[in-house]
Amino acid sequence: MKIVLQNLTKIFPPRGKNTSGEVVAVNNFNFEIPDGKLIGLLGPSGCGKSTTLYMISGLQKPSSGKIFFGDDDVTELSTENRGIGLVFQNYALYPHLTVKQNILFPLQNLKGKDKLDKNTMLDRAYEAAKLVQIEQLLDRKPSELSGGQQQRVAIARALVKMPRVLLLDEPLSNLDARLRLQTREEIRRIQKETGITTVFVTHDQEEAMSISDLIVVMKSGVVQQIGQPQDVYDDPANLFVAKFLGTPPINVFSGRVSQGMLYIGTDAVMKVAGVADQEVTVGIRPEGFHLDPNGTLCCKPVNVEVMGRDVSIVSTHDASLNPFVRSIINADHRYDIGDSVRYTIKPHKIFLFGKESEERIRIEVNSDGRK
Amino acid sequence: MVESKQQWKAWLYLAPAIILLLVFTVWPIINTVAMAFMEDYSGLASIGGEATFRFGFGNFTRVVQNAEFQQALTNTMILCLITVPVSTLLALLIAVALNAIKPLQKALQTIFFLPYVTNSIAIGMVFAAMFNVIGSVGTRRPLISSYGIVNDLIRMFGGNWVNWINSGSEYWANMFVMIVYIVWNALPFKILILLGGLAGINKQYYEAAKVDSTPRWRVLTRITVPLLSPMLAYVIITGFIAGFKEYTSIVGVFGESMGPVHEAHRLNTMVGLIYDSLASNNQGRASAAALILFMIILVVTLINLRVSKKRVHY
Amino acid sequence: MSQNTMQVMSAQNMRKTSTRQKITRVLSQTGVYAFLGLMAAVVLFPFYWMIISSLKSLAEYRLSPPTFWPTQVLISNYSEAFTTASLGMLFKNTMIVGIVSTLLSLVITIFTAFAFARLEFKGKELLFALLLATMMIPGELFTITNFATVTNLGWRNTYHVLIIPFLVSVFYIYLLRQNFMQIPNELYLAAKVDGTSDLKYLWKVMVPLSLPTLISITILKMMGAWNSYIWPRLVANDEAHRLITNGLRNAFTDTTGDVNYPVQMAAVALVSLPLFLVFVFLRKYIMSGVSRSGIKG
Repeated sequence: MKIVLQNLTKIFPPRGKNTSGEVVAVNNFNFEIPDGKLIGLLGPSGCGKSTTLYMISGLQKPSSGKIFFGDDDVTELSTENRGIGLVFQNYALYPHLTVKQNILFPLQNLKGKDKLDKNTMLDRAYEAAKLVQIEQLLDRKPSELSGGQQQRVAIARALVKMPRVLLLDEPLSNLDARLRLQTREEIRRIQKETGITTVFVTHDQEEAMSISDLIVVMKSGVVQQIGQPQDVYDDPANLFVAKFLGTPPINVFSGRVSQGMLYIGTDAVMKVAGVADQEVTVGIRPEGFHLDPNGTLCCKPVNVEVMGRDVSIVSTHDASLNPFVRSIINADHRYDIGDSVRYTIKPHKIFLFGKESEERIRIEVNSDGRK
Repeated sequence: MVESKQQWKAWLYLAPAIILLLVFTVWPIINTVAMAFMEDYSGLASIGGEATFRFGFGNFTRVVQNAEFQQALTNTMILCLITVPVSTLLALLIAVALNAIKPLQKALQTIFFLPYVTNSIAIGMVFAAMFNVIGSVGTRRPLISSYGIVNDLIRMFGGNWVNWINSGSEYWANMFVMIVYIVWNALPFKILILLGGLAGINKQYYEAAKVDSTPRWRVLTRITVPLLSPMLAYVIITGFIAGFKEYTSIVGVFGESMGPVHEAHRLNTMVGLIYDSLASNNQGRASAAALILFMIILVVTLINLRVSKKRVHY
Repeated sequence: MSQNTMQVMSAQNMRKTSTRQKITRVLSQTGVYAFLGLMAAVVLFPFYWMIISSLKSLAEYRLSPPTFWPTQVLISNYSEAFTTASLGMLFKNTMIVGIVSTLLSLVITIFTAFAFARLEFKGKELLFALLLATMMIPGELFTITNFATVTNLGWRNTYHVLIIPFLVSVFYIYLLRQNFMQIPNELYLAAKVDGTSDLKYLWKVMVPLSLPTLISITILKMMGAWNSYIWPRLVANDEAHRLITNGLRNAFTDTTGDVNYPVQMAAVALVSLPLFLVFVFLRKYIMSGVSRSGIKG
């Protein structure tokens, strides 16, 4: 089931007495979510991602715009008639019901011709439980389950009525780090097995990138970029996206282009073809540095953090907009702190942005595929 | 979160409560206030014939000038001013003591809560039995067959027996019995609240006090009472409100005559007076008395709140 | 050298103080138990006196000094009390009024609390504040007009006059609303997603999750019927509808003088017994309800 969001907009009326300022939570969102894919809605808190999810679910009504499931316009359809499954951030399991009763709950609401007999319901509940591998926990109460198990129950409850669309609100945020890795693989597996179009919301870019087919990066209600995780990472549309994706985060410098040469501070870093002379903001991914005694970017090293496979060199640079410049270098050879460290920059790991607009300024690519 | 389009649905859920409240709460407020200002009006008489009344403060002046009202007000005040401090202090001591022990704590806590779950008429009768003297009490040379258990205990310790509640008894003897009963009855609620408050006090304060080797009484007055002050304010305010509405406990001990045989109504209270006026079909005066009671409770509560705002330590 | 001596001295001193502290501790602990024991005896004494008096013969009751345990246990006082006060009838009336008013009151309270806790409507906050404000007003003020109202309606000496005027308790609504509000909103949304109607959600999720509060309300309401005295005396004091407390008071009008105390105490014990049973088995619900209320029964 593909989902089409058409000019989707949500405006919240001003809160309380100070009537100033209605809040535009989602602004003119256009997107076609392809059938059977896993989509990550990504952004900092307050960016409108949850509001978008709730509008898809029908729990909130858009101020304007339309939502289609396939070819059906569901904009005016109430939640229960949309055929969605929703997993809440805190799972929202009914604490007084057992796992089995929780999973059965949605089925018991079916009326009329959709009504199921008891055995079918039990079969379906068992099937759902099996899918998320909790069939041995069916008689427990939610309070007797770990966070990860509760999460699975919530997913089973959402899946049991065979929804057209599965929605997950911050599905991993209540889990500890180890469980998070495991559960995100689970979500990926379940989504693949069922083939249900799934949308999930997260503020954690790593989480979104690791399992999504497509990610949607949002900020202040406006979609910044949509694409496959690797594409968005490698080719950010603006400074916000570049900064939001990647751990450790991208290094940002103030720079200047003059006669086809990029300067960071006084360092003439590299030639940039096809860029007019202007002040720019420069982003360099931590893995975009190459140790080179003859390198063009010169930093003052502060510390070396050993991470096993890699080392991370923390240094400073006068033109850096962050307190530190962080580079990740292969740990094959040891590195000792000296007075300065010189880098050459990998061309596909450096991005230029307009100083004011923060929009990406593209560097012309040479015929050999390099920038 | 969910945007409900159906306001009427909420009103449907509210309807039973609202209808009942309109009839039995809102209308009484309006009507009682109005009746208080209608002179010579009887709520019952007005159904058939035309009403004859005029507006004025007549009911209030007549109530206030009435000797029975003055007696009732005095009785109520005395009961409040004695029982509230006594029961609060006792409850505080018991709660602190309960909080300081481990073995038997639960059992004792249960015992102290027991008087709460009682019928005040029924247990009032038990108190009457305990203070009652059987025999010819009022005469010059009384012939006593039983002094009652309380007098027996007094005599056991070498004291003189007292005519507590029988014919010829003194006003203060009657009052003493009522005070004992009301305090006994008021303890459980206060203990429960104060014990709950004590449980909420962080143990670290006491450990800190122990490190500084603070004496016990100082811990009580300087740590426990200040930290407990919101609960104390609460039990004192509710104690005063309950005290001003005292009625059934006296009916329990003395019966509906509200006093010893030779002087009925001597122990009448504000609430008792209101019901007397009502029973004698004088709605106007009952209303005026009820409004006066409401004003007194309001003023006392406001004073209490004002004082406790200064004294409550957080 | 001198410093060393001082240290030894202080160590000795400390040992001394610690023994002294131990002694004061034991002493004060004993004092605390003595105080609590005395108070507990005072609290329990009326109950003890009620029970032993109810088992004595009238002759033994009149003895001075009294006996602290009946020399001859007389159960017949109880049967006499039961018939004298026609407790059976009173018991039946009180149960009818108590059960019906509790059930209806629960339904109304649940609906009202649900509307205030979960539904959106205009004027919600104002209405709730007004409701809470009525709790300040002493009940006597309502009683005066309600007395006239039920008389005009011709409801005197019926069951419903004992039930209907007190069905709505603002305090219970408040209590339950607070409980409902603690239930996470997500549960409601999840139920919405599954197509659960408001009514079903209320019944299947909110009511089970608020069961302790509902039990507290039930007990307090039942105790209220059992202990109510003033209103029933005013409006339904006929044989057929009289409630237990009024019946007790009516059957034994004399409290002082040479009355048959053993029988009277037996009646009092019989009236108190159900309350004791409730107390023994449901104490924690009463306590949790009471600690949030400040109302008696």
